[in-house]
Amino acid sequence: MAKVGVYVCHCGSNIAGVIDVSAVRDFAELLPDVVIARKDLFMCSDSGQEMVKQDVRDGLVDRVVVAACTPRTHEPIFRAAIEKAGLNKYLFEMANIRDQASWVHGNDHDGATEKAKLVVASAVGKARHLQPLHDKFVDVTNAALVIGAGIGGISAALELANMGHKTYLVEKEPSIGGIMAQLDKTFPTNDCSACILTPMMVQAFNHPNIETLAYSEVADVDGYIGNFNVKVRQKQTYIDWKKCTGCGDCADKCPSKTPDLFNGGLSDRRAAYIMFPQAVPKKAVVDIEHCINCAGRTIGTQPKINEKTGKAILAPCERACRAGAIDRSLPLDPGGTIKEIEVGSIVVATGYQVMDKGWFKEMAPASPNVITALQLERLISATGPTGGKLLRPSDNEKPHTLTFVSCVGSRDVNFHTHCSRFCCMYMIKQARLLKEKYPYLVINMHFIDVRSAGKAYDEYYTGAREMGINFFRGKVGGLEMLPGDQLRVLAYDIEAGQSIEYSSDLVILATAVELPPDAIALAQKLGLQFCGNDFFRELHPKLGPVETAVAGLFIAGCCQGPKDIPDTVSQAKGAAAAAAVPLAQGRVKIEATISEVDSQKCSGCGICEPLCPYHAISMRDYTDRARGVIERHAIIEMSSCKGCGVCTSACPSAAIKLHGYEDEQIYAQIAALTA
Amino acid sequence: MIIDQNKIDETIKIIKANGGHGIQKCVQCGACSAVCPGVKAGFPLLCRALIKDLLNGLLEENIENSSSWGCQACNRCTEVCPQGVRPQEVVFAFRRYQANELAFSTSSVTSQMNLYETGHAVFTDPKEARRKVGLPEETPTSAFNEAAQQEIRTLMDNSPMGELGLF
Repeated sequence: MAKVGVYVCHCGSNIAGVIDVSAVRDFAELLPDVVIARKDLFMCSDSGQEMVKQDVRDGLVDRVVVAACTPRTHEPIFRAAIEKAGLNKYLFEMANIRDQASWVHGNDHDGATEKAKLVVASAVGKARHLQPLHDKFVDVTNAALVIGAGIGGISAALELANMGHKTYLVEKEPSIGGIMAQLDKTFPTNDCSACILTPMMVQAFNHPNIETLAYSEVADVDGYIGNFNVKVRQKQTYIDWKKCTGCGDCADKCPSKTPDLFNGGLSDRRAAYIMFPQAVPKKAVVDIEHCINCAGRTIGTQPKINEKTGKAILAPCERACRAGAIDRSLPLDPGGTIKEIEVGSIVVATGYQVMDKGWFKEMAPASPNVITALQLERLISATGPTGGKLLRPSDNEKPHTLTFVSCVGSRDVNFHTHCSRFCCMYMIKQARLLKEKYPYLVINMHFIDVRSAGKAYDEYYTGAREMGINFFRGKVGGLEMLPGDQLRVLAYDIEAGQSIEYSSDLVILATAVELPPDAIALAQKLGLQFCGNDFFRELHPKLGPVETAVAGLFIAGCCQGPKDIPDTVSQAKGAAAAAAVPLAQGRVKIEATISEVDSQKCSGCGICEPLCPYHAISMRDYTDRARGVIERHAIIEMSSCKGCGVCTSACPSAAIKLHGYEDEQIYAQIAALTA
Repeated sequence: MIIDQNKIDETIKIIKANGGHGIQKCVQCGACSAVCPGVKAGFPLLCRALIKDLLNGLLEENIENSSSWGCQACNRCTEVCPQGVRPQEVVFAFRRYQANELAFSTSSVTSQMNLYETGHAVFTDPKEARRKVGLPEETPTSAFNEAAQQEIRTLMDNSPMGELGLF
């Protein structure tokens, strides 16, 4: 007969503020098989744990129920405690009387107490039937995958590589660098973005432990912590990168133009192009969607022959390439190639996009002189469309009055309720850089409020005031297009209580930070969850900021939420450290609470196989020598099983047992709840 | 100013009861006032400023303030509000409070009398102007339709407006 010990936690006032803890303890004491019921102010404290351990050591109890908070955070603590005292750690059950009683029924003390009693009775019912279980271990592939090679991905990959782990760095664009490569300078020190980023790009690309897969996307992910199998689709470049020297001759000769997204669409690039001058790897690709197949040179066809000269008529890009890297006769697969890699852990650092101005009808999006802040970065960058000269897009004239509009799509229930967090600072940076270079500019900045929380950030902001930049508290209500390519700004000064109206030459919108649309497909492949406001969800908002619900999968940078460069780098290094843990350990633990098939009972019907969300079940044939027949049985791969129980509940022969959630345990819980 | 929580609570309760349900969502960004024609025309207590006063519990203090009657009901504030406050409804809620306390602006009494008599809050005789441009003198509206006017009067007599005893 089981000897169950029940320990009821006050959790300070979290539980005891609502629930009569003594009454719950008194009730528990009378439940069947309960030999001891105690209570403590904080069961998770040293003294609380010691109380449980002592009872186990004294041989008083051999099943433990703690009635406290959530097993999500505290089950591992108590399991470890009883294991230390010499009891199998799976002989433990948690009754969550905080989340399920005191928190949700805060206004009904008596009702909450009665419910807590039921929750405890249910846990005791289960505990009486608990059996010892044993964890298993599997070996780990000593390699990591980092998805996204912006400053976050590069930082994470360098950390992992420097720790000695083979690291794959996957980037969808032809060059690594991400959005930071588009920036002119960085706050609050005005460092040139390219000057601090390019060396890191080169370092990552040349690192002996890093294999950079540029112009590539994650196509599929299979497996589990320690042993992920990842299919990476290397997009078709149409240029042989082994031969390409990055000279750019093909781009010079290519006649087909398309908006250059690296320059925010403010200039054109060619269909054959190198992403930007400092690209790493510095390789050209052909954007086949915009390729016009000059000289009828569609991919995979033989060239026409010039009747007079007898020579093949080649496309300009082919002719221009002195390295012989472009051969349009080859039957290149537009789908690219699939590369399969095995890794033990994955860091997702896929970054963000800023909203397009087209969403904001009140902000005169039809005017070329209304631009996003990221477009302004390109407009003031030496490698940008104007070579760093501030010229307004409509007529390439010098603007005199500039307007910065904050919170466009952020902190807005119609778009995104979150604060995009770094817009205030980059707007101040842009204003400072412009005022320094062009002191005659009138720069008006409109904020709901200036959010400058960060080291040396507020000093940077107050410094901007001293430089003669005008700050107004009050959100811009709208813009109207005026003759002469000007904009009428409709604003309001909250401090003065006055409306403001003036003409502006160039208006910069700090549009909201959001996940790019392809993040959704990636999340589905990886099993990532989303937060209410659309970013990837971390395991715990405070204590698990880089972990996710999927073991072995970590997140960093703006895909987890808007953050500036220093925060992104910090989080990326944190994610890299967390991702290195299973790699350094060499093996990972498989929890014992997983499903197992009883082959004696399995009829081989196969119902369970397609239901398993983790592809852990396969059907196998066995020869039963005694009876001389071949039988089919389901087999569950223990390292893939997450213990969700779908197969268990679906099996018509009741042949699948979910350890830790066995039938008699669950029936005992139901009996206790309905008694 | 003294912060009196009872006054604040009471004010918000009254504004919400009169239709200004979103008042507590306001973060005082000022976008409403940036587009408000009433603010531009110089009414000091409209949109953001009115909401701020109400959030501070200054209800009775503003009862005689006529700014609220300057609201043209254009609803641009609601279009630009990033928090779903629906500022125009707050202004209207304040107006309803004022009306219930018989604290009308004189301008609003005239327009309500117009509405009662002609079905138009703002009414000027159109005959002369319409004749000049070759239109029939009478508009096809309640202004020249006795039955429609009677319907409007019946509605108003049976509405909370009727209880104010203006008509």
